Amino acid sequence: MALPYIKKETIYTAGRVGILLGVSGLVGLLGYSFGLDRQQIISCSIFIMIIMATLLFWKLRLAIAFVGIGALMGANVLTLPTFIRECKLDVILFLVGMMVTVGVLKELGLFTWIIQQVIALKGITGPKFVIIIVFLGAFMACAVDEVTSIVFVATLIFQVCDTLKVRPVPFIIIAVMGTNIGSSGTMLGNPVGILIGQNATPPLSFMDFLHWSFPIMLVTLSISLVLLMWWFRRDIALLSQRLEARREVGLGLGPLVQVPYKRGLAVLLGMILFIALHHHLETKLGLAPNTVLIVAPLVIAGLLMLWRHERSRHYIEADVEWWTLLFFMMLFAVAGTLEETRVTQRIADSFQQAFGNRLSILTPIVIGSSAIGSAFVDNIVFVAAFMPVVEKLQQTPLLWALLQGTCLGGNITMIGSTANIVALGMLEKRYRTHIHFIEWLKVGLIVGILSCLIAWGGIALLSPYMPTVKQRQMHRQVLPDQKHEQPNIIEKVSTE
Amino acid sequence: MATKNNHIQFSSLFRPTEVICQTDQTDRDTLLKDLLELLAYQRGIGNVDEAYLAVLQRENEMATIVAPGIAMPHARLEAIKQIIVGMATSKNGIVYDKNQPDKPVKLIILTLAPKDAPGAYLQAISSLANICKDPTTADIVANLPTPEKIWSFFKQGGLVLPDHLCARDVMEPSEAQLQEHDTLERAIDLFVHYRLNELPVVDKDGELIGVVTTYELLRVCLPDYILWMEDLTPIMNFEPFAEILRKESKTWLTEIMTGDYAVVEDSAPAIQVAKEITRQKANRAYVVRGKKFMGVVSLEKLLNKILRE
Repeated sequence: MALPYIKKETIYTAGRVGILLGVSGLVGLLGYSFGLDRQQIISCSIFIMIIMATLLFWKLRLAIAFVGIGALMGANVLTLPTFIRECKLDVILFLVGMMVTVGVLKELGLFTWIIQQVIALKGITGPKFVIIIVFLGAFMACAVDEVTSIVFVATLIFQVCDTLKVRPVPFIIIAVMGTNIGSSGTMLGNPVGILIGQNATPPLSFMDFLHWSFPIMLVTLSISLVLLMWWFRRDIALLSQRLEARREVGLGLGPLVQVPYKRGLAVLLGMILFIALHHHLETKLGLAPNTVLIVAPLVIAGLLMLWRHERSRHYIEADVEWWTLLFFMMLFAVAGTLEETRVTQRIADSFQQAFGNRLSILTPIVIGSSAIGSAFVDNIVFVAAFMPVVEKLQQTPLLWALLQGTCLGGNITMIGSTANIVALGMLEKRYRTHIHFIEWLKVGLIVGILSCLIAWGGIALLSPYMPTVKQRQMHRQVLPDQKHEQPNIIEKVSTE
Repeated sequence: MATKNNHIQFSSLFRPTEVICQTDQTDRDTLLKDLLELLAYQRGIGNVDEAYLAVLQRENEMATIVAPGIAMPHARLEAIKQIIVGMATSKNGIVYDKNQPDKPVKLIILTLAPKDAPGAYLQAISSLANICKDPTTADIVANLPTPEKIWSFFKQGGLVLPDHLCARDVMEPSEAQLQEHDTLERAIDLFVHYRLNELPVVDKDGELIGVVTTYELLRVCLPDYILWMEDLTPIMNFEPFAEILRKESKTWLTEIMTGDYAVVEDSAPAIQVAKEITRQKANRAYVVRGKKFMGVVSLEKLLNKILRE
């Protein structure tokens, strides 16, 4: 009986391998027909192979990325120094610091306290609960990151829905969408934020995000919230009924305990303040752009590990997602070869030839293409490939268009962002249920299109006030020809 | 693979020469020894003393009185290759279980099964299920004057060993169950009283609607958001349990009831019970007929029945 099963599985795997190699080979052939040289063809094919691997072999994506790096090095497309430079250790270290800090905050009871504050609210209704989970998800994403945020908000939803015996799926969808939109608000919200901010020339600061992205995020979030409340109005009404019934018999939504949250809150606020002031500190201390930004989470993580030294190994081993970070490193390095081999320059030239330099055309094109791309592949994969293209176009608003498109595009499908996948995994593990692709797509497409339109409008409205690349360079006191001397702290350290 | 139907008649498991009819023996152990010696002489069952000790050990642990006046002692022996049955009847009855002196046994059906035949004994019991339901069976058989007539009784009854065990063959009645309108207070009382880890919940029609487990109860007291904290100081004195205690009489069972449990139809093969328990990583499976709750199979009892009885 086992034989047909094995055969079927083998055929299925062989089919997927065939698609992976076929698409990768097809890209190589297309590149050849467009006149790309050997190195450009190899880097394009391997990059597409890794993108396809995330779609077809999610669990094997890191292994395939390792092999891809080996193939690039073997073909002399990627050298070891280029690999070390392009794997963006600055972004990786920033994420390590954040993950350790979040792990400590969790143990300190900060997130327990936040959830208890919601559970203990008097007179809560269905609409109020939805407003809370949307804004809580969005602001927690802004303060920590989208994945951490959705883990805590999903736990809150499960607690309330379990107690009231209400289907959690609508509320999970609502919270995920709020979290994804919120993740575009600050540099900490999403790994693509730090990737865009750190790789822009000159780099974007935390305050840049607060000035130009946060307001757009707030408007997008508010309008999307109204839409989501209308879409799921029946489920919200049922929640209100159950809450009312429970209140009538004097029962709460879960046990409440006294949590010593103040230490955790102080750590979080301290870290946000430290990061928010990074530009001022760098200017005062004469440091390279974003040095403090990258180092702040690491320093805070280090101090926390010194304080709780008996748990320090646990924070590094259990709270840091090494699998994901290693995949990011490999991906960044492969995307770096696209820039190294000048593939991105050619794509940027094609973009300019096709659409010119007019922002009114380029902004929706960047938002639209990054939203569609992020709906189907990991948004960091898309940004890694598209960022150098946007950089070459030398227009500041396009950086924000890329950020908004990749964050908001994550709402379109259930596989559009890491937050979606984490939340669905939690749902599946707890209830042994899943959301149908179409069920998500119906609401995701509407929210995705609406939020992208709002983001487009927001960027169009703000772009006259945004500094140009030259103005940013003057402000940061980094001249264009100094870019390769001082683009980020990693290169500075390695030169020294 | 198609299931092979054997249709083994219960009467084919023994011969009139293997029946001790209307014995005057009043001592249970002596009668069992006589019966084993008879089977050893007629069929060959290996070492009689070993078989005797095996049978006696089981009976002393728990007497196998399966119906009024009927006992079915049994043992699994390495020396035999097929099920062997021996019978003894007593007109006046013998005291079979010292704890139940007022329940004399008039019909003893001794079943010896091969060591490597899981469930053979249960199949034999299952085939006798219909005659065991009739409370007069023991008297009727005990009054039959000859071994041939006793054999004919079973032959004419058309008793056939089932091809496989069903869930109902391995289930037992639930020690306790909860009604849907019960509160958490009653569930906690039953958990403590019966020392159980889970209890079935039925509605007014006796249909199984869910299960309440001690684990779920614990999870209500200690939800995920409290477990995140490394510092136990805020819950050192079981503070989260205090609210549950305060409100246990107001909290309906349905709040902590789970619909995620192992359930099988009573007519499903018994192996389905093992499969469901394994699949759900549960300790027990609930047996239903349609939706009506019939009984429960604990993993411990299932293993005992399949591997030991």
